[in-house]
Formats: sequence, structure tokens, C-alpha cells
Amino acid sequence: MPSDHRMNDLQQATEIVRRRGMATPRTAIILGSGLGGLASEIEDPIAIRYAELPGFATSTASGHQGKLIGGKLDGVPVVVMAGRFHRYEGYDDAAVTFPLRLMAELGASRMIVSNAAGGLNPGYRVGDIVVLRDVIDWAKSPTRLGDDVTSAIDRVALASPISVVDEELLEAALQAARNADFTAHVGVYLATLGPTYETRAEYRMMRRFGIDVVGMSTAPEVRMARQLGMRVLALSMVSNVARPDIAVIANHEEVLAAGQAAAFKLRAIVAHVNQLPSP
Amino acid sequence: MLDLYDKIQGARAAILAQWNHKPRVAIVLGTGLGGLVNDIEIEASIEYGDIPHFPKSTATSHRGRLVCGKLNGEYVVAMEGRFHMYEGYPLKQITLPIRVFKSLGAELLVLSNACGGLNPYFRSGDIMVIEDQINMLGDNPLIGINDDRLGPRFPDMSEPYDQQWVDRTIQIARDARIEAHKGVFVAVAGPNLETRAEYRFLRQIGADVVGMSTVPEAIVAIHCGLKVVGLSVITDMCLPDALRAANVEEIIAIANEAEPKLRHIVRGVVGEAGQVRLA
Repeated sequence: MPSDHRMNDLQQATEIVRRRGMATPRTAIILGSGLGGLASEIEDPIAIRYAELPGFATSTASGHQGKLIGGKLDGVPVVVMAGRFHRYEGYDDAAVTFPLRLMAELGASRMIVSNAAGGLNPGYRVGDIVVLRDVIDWAKSPTRLGDDVTSAIDRVALASPISVVDEELLEAALQAARNADFTAHVGVYLATLGPTYETRAEYRMMRRFGIDVVGMSTAPEVRMARQLGMRVLALSMVSNVARPDIAVIANHEEVLAAGQAAAFKLRAIVAHVNQLPSP
Repeated sequence: MLDLYDKIQGARAAILAQWNHKPRVAIVLGTGLGGLVNDIEIEASIEYGDIPHFPKSTATSHRGRLVCGKLNGEYVVAMEGRFHMYEGYPLKQITLPIRVFKSLGAELLVLSNACGGLNPYFRSGDIMVIEDQINMLGDNPLIGINDDRLGPRFPDMSEPYDQQWVDRTIQIARDARIEAHKGVFVAVAGPNLETRAEYRFLRQIGADVVGMSTVPEAIVAIHCGLKVVGLSVITDMCLPDALRAANVEEIIAIANEAEPKLRHIVRGVVGEAGQVRLA
């Protein structure tokens, strides 16, 4: 159970969102690098700045204006997080995942979460999509879970391994890729704390562990969504492929550019999965 | 993280008030390796307690002063005594001195440490030039809102230890008939030493030596744009199938014994730094 003040914030935030007329969403969508354009496609959008919502961390990062957007996507009611929180920004897991509590409270029964990730599997190419079957959380620590956990039992629950996947959503995502004729792999995601990119020695280690993609997000959200009983689809867009034996300098601009080029793929998967009936 | 900038300025001013020069090289002396200060023509010696925002060194055989002067004809600053995560300091505070050295105008950072050898071809008392690193601290000194004045949000780590300097350092050792290995350093939080199972694990993930320092300083040096030379003195061999209990006195004795070799190499690196264009 979250702490009292968080329950309070949750209640207030829910009221604020409902008062603004947001319909009950079927799908909660978290936009990572590369999926940002989707926000502009939402019909009859109701956008609420994070700063207006109690319980939302206030991002003081340069020019990062987060919004919660409700509306219809391909005719299906959705709620979308444009802008997310990361642990490397100094937020604990409770703060990172609070928006998910809100979206579940609003009625979303499934979550689609996306990210841009570094490819470790040498068979991957920049711009490929990886549908995540498992998430390994390397950055979880009791001190980083935050005040969402008040009892030892909660702590154990939150710190347990994450079985991400909903087989039906995973199959649907792969089907969407086949329909639209692009490659989608199934793989394992490793969440690191960041914000540094990996050293070559670290890439080699992660490869040995059987990791396919590595990034700095997604694990806390997936864990929370599973805890809230939501069905989860997690997608990585491969923004670069690590070649530890041929050092190439990672570049955040390149990551963003790769995201833009692959955006249509994520869009196609979201469109397909979003049409599935709710459980 | 935004308050760091002012702290750096405060510490910088305190040092400049006692020693108004631009160091070319900053040196951090590890456990048992403080003897190098005897080679420095000391112009100022400043206790950490007299430098605002510097932590106090609590580790065994670590003094706590900043030595400023000339080594091999070049201006240097040397930390006699460093800070570790296991002392309870946040990584941001541990690494503050590195940012202060950058603000004083240093271009090269030499990090030294005493460490355990995992590579079975190493011998106790050997020197290893660090070629790459693995961060197993479970933490990162760059967590929090990034101050863009200090460095980029997502630093690239494809070459934390400048390859040219690795080659130069090996050459300096070779010229003096000192055997210097090249390898991967893994940092753990400590303060307990590793179990045999952990040594096997660390060896398997690709590490040649293990220690409790250096990685935070190297990350911050990369963040703020310093070139880094890393030197490890192997003070005990950690061979899991023939493991003896570690003895701190013995470790320090071996560090002291190997110290002249390290001293020679550091002197050579500083001399070369005076000759090559660093930027």
C-alpha cells in the first residue's frame, strides 16, 4: 500500500482529471523517445500539465514539459503520458510510477510502454523493434523504492523479478509487425540506473548475461503496472547497436534521430494492439 | 545537482587563496600509495577540513590533505587520502574534488588504487594500467537534475580511459623495466571483501581486478571533460579456488612495497603531460 499522502494525492489527481472531462481510458500509453509524435494524433485531446496534478514529480530538467493527455486514438479511448520520469533524474520508484497509479485509477486496464534502448544482441539493427518478454531491473534497491512501500511484505513484492509479458499482447504486437512488413524481435531488457552510457567492458558483461537491449527506464513502470493488475506490452526501439570491440561514441542526438525514423513501426503496433478488446 | 556549481566555486576559491597556480595534472593517491607526495616540491598543503565542501577522509592509511606543487617540472595537485562510498559519503560528494581540479584548469587526472587481482596471470605487487571499467556500485555520481554547465546529461563511456594515455603509460613502465598489465577494473561498494562465489562472478563478467574506488571519480572526470589515467596496484590475489583470508596490514605492506614503481610511472605520466598537447 502506498503511504497516506500518496493516497491523498491520488484521490485529488483523479478528481482533477475527471473534472476536466477525460473519458474512461482503455489503454495507458507511456511515450518513450521515438513515440512522442503519437501525442499529436490524439482526437479531442484533453491535456493536463503534470504541474497541475498532485503527486506528480515536478521535472526541472531543461524545457521538459510533461503532460497527461486523454482522448481517442484510432477510435479507442486512451490516456497518454507525454514525458516520463527517470531514476537518473533523482526520483525514487514511487515517484516514477505514481502516474501509473492514476491511469489505473482512471480505469486503464492495460499499458503500452515504449523506450529507446541500446541493442546488445549483435543480430539487431538500428531502428528494429524489440517486444520485451522479460525485464531485469539492475537499479532496484530498497532505498530507491520510495515511500510506496510501508511494510516488509510490500518491499518483497516490489523487489521481486518482473514477468512482463502478456502473451496475447506480445503475439498481437508481432502480428502487427508482420502485417506492416517490418522486423520485430522478442527479447530481454536490462534496466540500468544511468545516466552514463555503458563502457565496453559493461556491454561485454551484459551480453554474457543474455541481455538483448539495455536502457534506463521501463522497469519501475512495468513492475507497478503488473502490481496494479494491468496487462503490459513493453516495446524497445533499438537506437544503436553496441559493438564493444569497435568502439563507437554514443550520441544522444543519434538516439533521437533513430527514434524518429522508426516511429511508424511503434505506431503500427500501438494501432493494432489498441484495437484488441479489453479483458 | 544544481548546487554543485557553487560548491565547486567555493572550494576552488579556498585553494586559490593558498596556491594560485594552474595544475596541469591532478592525482588521487590510493591506499598505501601516499609516498608519491615526497617527490612533489610542495608549495602548499591544504587540509581537507580547510576546503569548503570537501569530506573528511576516514579510511585506513589515508591522510586528508591536498598537496599542491611541482612534480617533474609540472604543476600538480595531489589528494593524499581519498573518499569511498563505504565511508557513507554520497558519490556526488566523493567526486566533488575532481570537479574542483577541472575548475582549477587541470587537464589530466591520474587515479591510483590498491586492488584485488582476479586475473590469475597477475601477481601480488604488480601494476595494472586500467583500460576499462565496470560499475557494480549500484549507484552513479550523476544522479539528479543535470547541470549543463558541468557536463552532458548522458556521458559517453566508450573510452573512459584515454587509449593514447594507456599506451603512453605502458611505454613509460616498459622503459623502466616495470611490468605493467592492462585490464578491466570493477568497482564494488564494499566495505566487506568478496566471497569466493563473488570473486568467481566478477572474473566471469570480465574483470581483471576489483576495488572499492576509482569508478565514481572516472565517471565524473568523463562528465566534466578530463582525460583519465588509471593505475591499480594489485595488493592481494583473489583466486577463489585458493583463497586466503585477507589481511589489511599485509595489503598495506604490499602497497608500500610496490609504491616506488607506481611513483615512477606517475612521475613519467606527469612529465609527458607537460610535453604533449592534452586537449
